[in-house]
Amino acid sequence: MEQQLQTIREKALAQLAEAQDTAALEQLRVSVLGKKGELTGILRGMGKLPAEERPKMGQMVNETRAAIEEALEARAAVLREKEKEERLKREAIDVTMPVRPRSAGAPNPLYTVQEELVEIFVGMGYEVVEGPEVEYDHYNFELLNLPKNHPARDAQDTFYIDDNIVLRTHTSPVQARIMTTRKPPIRIVCPGRVYRADEADATHSPVFHQMEGLVIDEGVTMGDLKGTLDAFAARLFGEGVTTRFRPSFFPFTEPSAEVDLTCASCHGKGCRMCKGTGWIEVLGAGMVNPKVLDMCGIDSKRYTGFAFGMGLERIALLKYNIPNLRLMYENDLRFLAQFR
Amino acid sequence: MKIPMKWLREYVDVNMAPQEYASRMIMTGTAVEGVDKTGEQFDGVVVGRVLTCEDHPNSDHLHVCTVDVGGEAPLQIVCGAPNVAAGQLVPVALEGARLPGGKIKRGKLRGVESQGMICSGPELDVPEGLYPHIGDKGILVFQEEYAPGTDVKEVFGLGDDVVDYEILANRPDCLSVWGIARESAAVLGEHCVMPEIAVEEDGKGAFEDYATVIVEDTENCPRYCARVIDEVKIGPSPKWMREYLYGAGVRPINNIVDITNFVMLETGQPMHAFDLSKVRDQTIVVRRARQGEMLTTLDGKEHVLDDTMLVIADHENATGLAGIMGGEESEIVEGTVRVLFESAAFDRANNRVTARKLGMRTEASGRFEKGVCAAGSMEALERACMLVNMLGCGKVVPGAYDNYPHPIEPRVVEASVKRICGLNGVSVPGERMEDILNDLNIETVLAGDILTCEPPAWRQDIETEADIAEEVLRMVGYEHIPSTLMRTETMAGFRSDKQKFISRARRELVGMGLYEILNYSFISPRWLEHLGIPSADWRLNPVQLRNPLGEDTSVMRTTLVPSMLNTLEGNLHRGVAEAKLFELSNAFEPRAKGELPEEHPMLCVGMYGPDVDFYTVKEIGTWLAAAFGVDCKAEEGGEVYYHPGRRAVLAHDNERFAALGEIHPDVAARFDIDGRVYVLEVDLTALMAMAKPIYGVKELPRFPAVSRDIAIVVKEAARAGDMLDCIEKAGGKTLEEARLFDVYRGEKLGEGKKSVAYALTFRASDRTLTDAEIQASMDKILKALETNFGAEIRK
Repeated sequence: MEQQLQTIREKALAQLAEAQDTAALEQLRVSVLGKKGELTGILRGMGKLPAEERPKMGQMVNETRAAIEEALEARAAVLREKEKEERLKREAIDVTMPVRPRSAGAPNPLYTVQEELVEIFVGMGYEVVEGPEVEYDHYNFELLNLPKNHPARDAQDTFYIDDNIVLRTHTSPVQARIMTTRKPPIRIVCPGRVYRADEADATHSPVFHQMEGLVIDEGVTMGDLKGTLDAFAARLFGEGVTTRFRPSFFPFTEPSAEVDLTCASCHGKGCRMCKGTGWIEVLGAGMVNPKVLDMCGIDSKRYTGFAFGMGLERIALLKYNIPNLRLMYENDLRFLAQFR
Repeated sequence: MKIPMKWLREYVDVNMAPQEYASRMIMTGTAVEGVDKTGEQFDGVVVGRVLTCEDHPNSDHLHVCTVDVGGEAPLQIVCGAPNVAAGQLVPVALEGARLPGGKIKRGKLRGVESQGMICSGPELDVPEGLYPHIGDKGILVFQEEYAPGTDVKEVFGLGDDVVDYEILANRPDCLSVWGIARESAAVLGEHCVMPEIAVEEDGKGAFEDYATVIVEDTENCPRYCARVIDEVKIGPSPKWMREYLYGAGVRPINNIVDITNFVMLETGQPMHAFDLSKVRDQTIVVRRARQGEMLTTLDGKEHVLDDTMLVIADHENATGLAGIMGGEESEIVEGTVRVLFESAAFDRANNRVTARKLGMRTEASGRFEKGVCAAGSMEALERACMLVNMLGCGKVVPGAYDNYPHPIEPRVVEASVKRICGLNGVSVPGERMEDILNDLNIETVLAGDILTCEPPAWRQDIETEADIAEEVLRMVGYEHIPSTLMRTETMAGFRSDKQKFISRARRELVGMGLYEILNYSFISPRWLEHLGIPSADWRLNPVQLRNPLGEDTSVMRTTLVPSMLNTLEGNLHRGVAEAKLFELSNAFEPRAKGELPEEHPMLCVGMYGPDVDFYTVKEIGTWLAAAFGVDCKAEEGGEVYYHPGRRAVLAHDNERFAALGEIHPDVAARFDIDGRVYVLEVDLTALMAMAKPIYGVKELPRFPAVSRDIAIVVKEAARAGDMLDCIEKAGGKTLEEARLFDVYRGEKLGEGKKSVAYALTFRASDRTLTDAEIQASMDKILKALETNFGAEIRK
């Protein structure tokens, strides 16, 4: 019987080593350890043995069983691993297949720019204010030191609804509305649509967008204006971009400045974009004209302030290298799809 | 404003390269558009003396000349001009010369070598008037003596640098050579030397013997000065004057006209010259035109005037538009012998309005509307007479007319040094400010902190301390402005709820795969008619522009739909297969006359494509609403510009906020759209009012849910949304969710029937539901569907 056990063990271990998959292994397990298996048969035959031999024999059977089970488990682990590897190999796919097209969308680059600017100024403590696009002449011109028949009005060819109502030519009337209704300190930016009677071409559009800023408080200086615009320029176009102020004239500011930014495409070295100057004209700015403060009911002896304004399309054109302003209003999907 | 450097240097020493000068001017506030040279159109042309001139052996019209061009040996040149002759001084284009017509090469003409070309005036593209007879046919023959080899540019006075200034609206005084000379002197720290004005009155009698001037409207003509020149000899002006005028972009004409233009450019004061013998009764009246009065101006145009316009007239008729253009009759001509010079100031606003009404903008009117200083009118007139003396082209009649009832009062502006430093953010000592201002001809005295400043009459722009601050700052240099940040109290920056709402809507729409577009706010009124909305609808009565660029952009849009349809059409015609677009902008609703329109923020979505249908736009609308916590239902009906069976409105608690549908084929056709397009328009004000913020979350369920499906057969007319409402009502509190998951039509079901399947989820918050409870709910639901829709359970 001992001999028999030994044979079963050896045979089982040999077969086990040859089993090539988990199914064959299971078959082997059943044929040896199953209810009708060889080892089970020996256990059954133990009843014929003398009582004193039974414990020893029982122990031997158990040892054999344990040895075979252990070997089975070890072999199974190997085979499972092998089968998993094979499955993973089988499941390989062509990762270069194109993905299923997905419907993508994008905000208009103009509003991407607007939101970016708004975020910069909100971060500097500005409130974002809006006003009507169809506006009284009073707010659009008169409160801004542009009386009727003033030649400076020519620079802003105006669409009229009637003698007193215009399509606003800039977002400055929002500033006038705020100055006439609030007390300093005031710190606002006003983005929005504006209108000028210009035929559309590569750099003009009868409808465009501006954002203006206004700060009024005690002791505000032209240096504060420069510092603010320097900070803004660096945030928008990257560190190293600063401003250059040139004297200019606007009826609503005094002193006034045209503000150039370091050309972002050549970092000020001079290139085609900036016509070799290293600078790009982007903003108009200045200290709020005391006449404007007085007309709006703010004491110009006590308060000073600055204002600045810029065209959002112009910034979008610069930022995204858009060659022609007309593209912004043509809504060609092949253009829009480049901003997703 | 173009000024030749040579002219400028008569008054101020500009001792540097033009580019450096330009940059100094730019950085102090006088923009420079560019620096050009005159005479760039040709190069390599010299004076030559024709030594011999023989007939060409092989031609009946060509000549063979030898020409001394100052070189070692004379050149042999073949010339076809009939007027060429030995002894002449002529312009010769040497080999390699550049002419407007091309380069000059050595070559053979009918077998005879030619080493250059003798030029005509037109071949050099030099305008008539710059040199006598330059426009004549044949070669140009110089009248004066020049050494052979002299550059022809010197003969014409070409080759000078010309600076093109862009003058700011507040500095009309710089629209003149003298103004720029004064400004340049202050900027460069140089002295400005103006000519001493002295007129020799060498005529006979007195002004009054020759002419009468009556100014009726002194409000619109605050000053009128006049002088008479007798024994006028019309002829070309001297070379230096022609050269200056040409450089400044003005065509030389004759001595008298050139003097008026020269003085205008030099002083900024427009001048006019009348042929006095052609002025009826030798009387000049400055008055308002009569309503409907007719006038023909110098350019031959006839105008109908109104009674706001200022005219120059005789006793009866208007003869010129004051400060805009003179009349035809009294124009200076070859035979003019007696001239009246006018130097006047006209009201800028009145002048501007008249020029605009008549559609006439002249050099003079442009100057008057920008502002001509009345204080300088007499000086300009004297300068003109002085030039008449100098040119010897007439006799100045003693005495002048000058009507100037209200001379400009000197203005005194006080400014605080401390406050200027505060405003500018740049610290400058008072003494330095005093010097700067005096250099700018602003007579300034410093006492303690106070600068007492008296600007010259031509600086009407200087009115306040801020103006003084700017003068100081631009002379110190804007580059000295420090970069500081405000040291005031910190303020909380924020956006309004509306701004946040619109930004959020934009993000949601982009997330749903839509592209944002931009359209004009004004459209064609025909586009609104194309929608076919009932005639009483307010949207057909938009706000109209008084001066639109064209009919197509003449009214403020009352809905964003037409612009969207136009955009969809554009993309369809460009062959874009699928478009999903949106626009966020205002629609304008008119209010009472004289009031501003109401501006409604709107969203318009438009789409087409193989995978797009009614439900695609409906999904956009409901998802967007859901993003703001608004649940909504679609109801049949809505706008007439949609397909009658494929349109709906979206409502929340029975309040409508959006309309959507497939565009009606008739409307599509009017927008040139071939195919199905879908549109959704949302009133953002309404949606924003419905939006619910998330405040507090619900407790998570502790008991399990039970799912059941239900499939019923109903008539085709039964609507999915109505049945869903019915299920929700009958299901009671324990019905957590009901969702349509299948609609099936087939032969087995029979004609006009459909099978609709819903997935139901039951759950109670306080216990596990029993089978019996769920069955009871299911029975109730089925019963309700049976009663209301004749539904049968599908087997």
